[in-house]
Amino acid sequence: MSSRLRLTFACIVAALVLGVLPVYAAQQVLRVGVLDNSPPMAFRNADGQLTGFSIEIIRAVCDEMQVRCDLQVTTLERVVDSLAGGEFDIAAVSLLDTPERRARILFALPYFRSVSLWFAKPGVMPGERGLRIAVVKGSAQESYARKQGWDTVAVPTNGELGLPLIAGVAQAAIIPMATSLNLMNHKDFRTLGLSSTVMKVPELIGNASFGISPRHPELKESVDNALDRIKRNGVYERINSQFLPFRVH
Amino acid sequence: MANPPDHNRISANRAFALLATAFALLFSAVVALLAFDQHRVLEASERLQQETVPAIIRFQRLARNLDQLRQEGERLFSSGTPEGRQQSLFIVMLVASHPSILDHPQSAETARDTESFLVETSRLAGQDPTLLKARHADWLHYSRRLSLLVDDLSVQGASLATDDLGDMVAVMRLARIKLIGALVLVGVFLLLMMALLRHHLIRPLQRIDHTLSSLGVDQPAPEFPDVRLTEIHAVEEATKRLHASLVSNEAARRELELLANRDGLTGLINRRHFMLMAESELQRAQRYGRPIAVALGDLDYFKRLNDTYGHGAGDAVLRTFAALLSDSVRQSDLVCRYGGEEFAFLFPESSVEQARILVERFRQRFADHDIQLPNGLLIRVTLSIGLADASHCPIEIALQRADFALYEAKRLGRNRVIVAEETI
Repeated sequence: MSSRLRLTFACIVAALVLGVLPVYAAQQVLRVGVLDNSPPMAFRNADGQLTGFSIEIIRAVCDEMQVRCDLQVTTLERVVDSLAGGEFDIAAVSLLDTPERRARILFALPYFRSVSLWFAKPGVMPGERGLRIAVVKGSAQESYARKQGWDTVAVPTNGELGLPLIAGVAQAAIIPMATSLNLMNHKDFRTLGLSSTVMKVPELIGNASFGISPRHPELKESVDNALDRIKRNGVYERINSQFLPFRVH
Repeated sequence: MANPPDHNRISANRAFALLATAFALLFSAVVALLAFDQHRVLEASERLQQETVPAIIRFQRLARNLDQLRQEGERLFSSGTPEGRQQSLFIVMLVASHPSILDHPQSAETARDTESFLVETSRLAGQDPTLLKARHADWLHYSRRLSLLVDDLSVQGASLATDDLGDMVAVMRLARIKLIGALVLVGVFLLLMMALLRHHLIRPLQRIDHTLSSLGVDQPAPEFPDVRLTEIHAVEEATKRLHASLVSNEAARRELELLANRDGLTGLINRRHFMLMAESELQRAQRYGRPIAVALGDLDYFKRLNDTYGHGAGDAVLRTFAALLSDSVRQSDLVCRYGGEEFAFLFPESSVEQARILVERFRQRFADHDIQLPNGLLIRVTLSIGLADASHCPIEIALQRADFALYEAKRLGRNRVIVAEETI
């Protein structure tokens, strides 16, 4: 091959590579951490496919951002570490904005507003002695209960939060709003005859957001913009109606 | 016209700089006003985008949640089981405690009242399910209250946009009025500027152009009305000076011409000028076949008079001769001092015979005239004249023939008029 031919070939290859690069950039893949046993926020449907409020919201956000999102299942306990460690770019998990979390990860704009409920036998109040309280590992509720010095029974997923109560291992639970909606649909949970109260504790009420890896701060603006767009264009409302009985934002 | 003092005038540079500055300031002010309005519209539309639309969506969600409360209430009443009632009540409790409801005081109060009523209803129904029916009438009151609030919130949400749009429309209307005002203002300014240009620059220039194109010594000195621009005034003054200099040049030219064409002693035209004029008179006469005659006259014994009485006497005789001549010949006739005491005549439109009568009468008059010399003596001098027809020959030939005739007059004893023979 003459040197001129070789040069031409090199040019063509370079042009192809340069031409393909933007396409490749547009097809950037984001690693998104999700839960799979936290109905109605994130769960597997009858076909085993991931779905739920948080799952569909992140899918809509990814569509708006025109990126491909690779959903990877994790647990709430690991979410903050994984984000901080760069294992995930985004965590599509409803995270209450606590100082401990804020110190380690970034938060997108809130995508819904939550409250936490105290579930116990009628008359049993938070802070009573001898109570064991069911919480999800790594949750803001767990962190709050620990700070109060309460005895906790931690379960790995929201879906399992009713189990310690049903089994009698725990006498109370601090349950996020969405999870409580799911639990109230279960007959064996309802038959426990627990009463529920909204906990008027600032750390447990308020905005819930997706987490963003501190290694990719540039993602925050595009995620926020995408969230803003789906709140305006009706996509958010449809997902809300699909998974939750009332407007949660 | 009296010119106003110079401090009333302004230089064109300064005048147009002032006008341009005024226009620039006016235009900038107008543009600034419009830019301000545009900024307000942009602000309003940005507010609509950033704040109002999300607020409207919030109102809609709030209304949906209140309506959800109403539906859950209905479900509680229609549910036949305590379990169904518990589930409805649970959702009512969640909605009533949700931050989105708590943020809106009126909704929070309504939701709280509704929740209390439904909790109480559920408790009573647990004891006696028949009470449900009795409380349903009360529930309708709560249900209506929720519906009304839903309506209010929907309208409030929509009216947020209406307010913003109303603001924008008001600003745009104001901007339109300002724009029309600005256009009118600019138009008026342009008209004013054109009027000023016309009055202070174009019209004066046209006047100057007209004056310059007709400027002549036969025209009166140009006059201009008072003007405000220094430069125009300067050109007008220069035009006046130009006219004055034309007039004085013409006077000088006439004086020079007189000096060049006249004989200094007698005031008659000189020979050179006579020849020039005679030539053209002859040409004219010959072209149109008109009669024309020439004559040469010579004072008799003039040398002897000079020798006897001195040159002063000779000059006096010559002057008297010239003075009498001007009384005796027609306006159209030409007379010149041809030599020392010799005079040439040209009689346009005269046959030799007509001319002969004329010169004969003059010869007679001159011969009878007493001439007073400088020393007081009175003398008489006679004149010999040779006359020739000039209608068919060049002036030189005609004069030559007149000269022969003059010679003949002298030879025959002087003081007479002799007509040249045609044949010579």
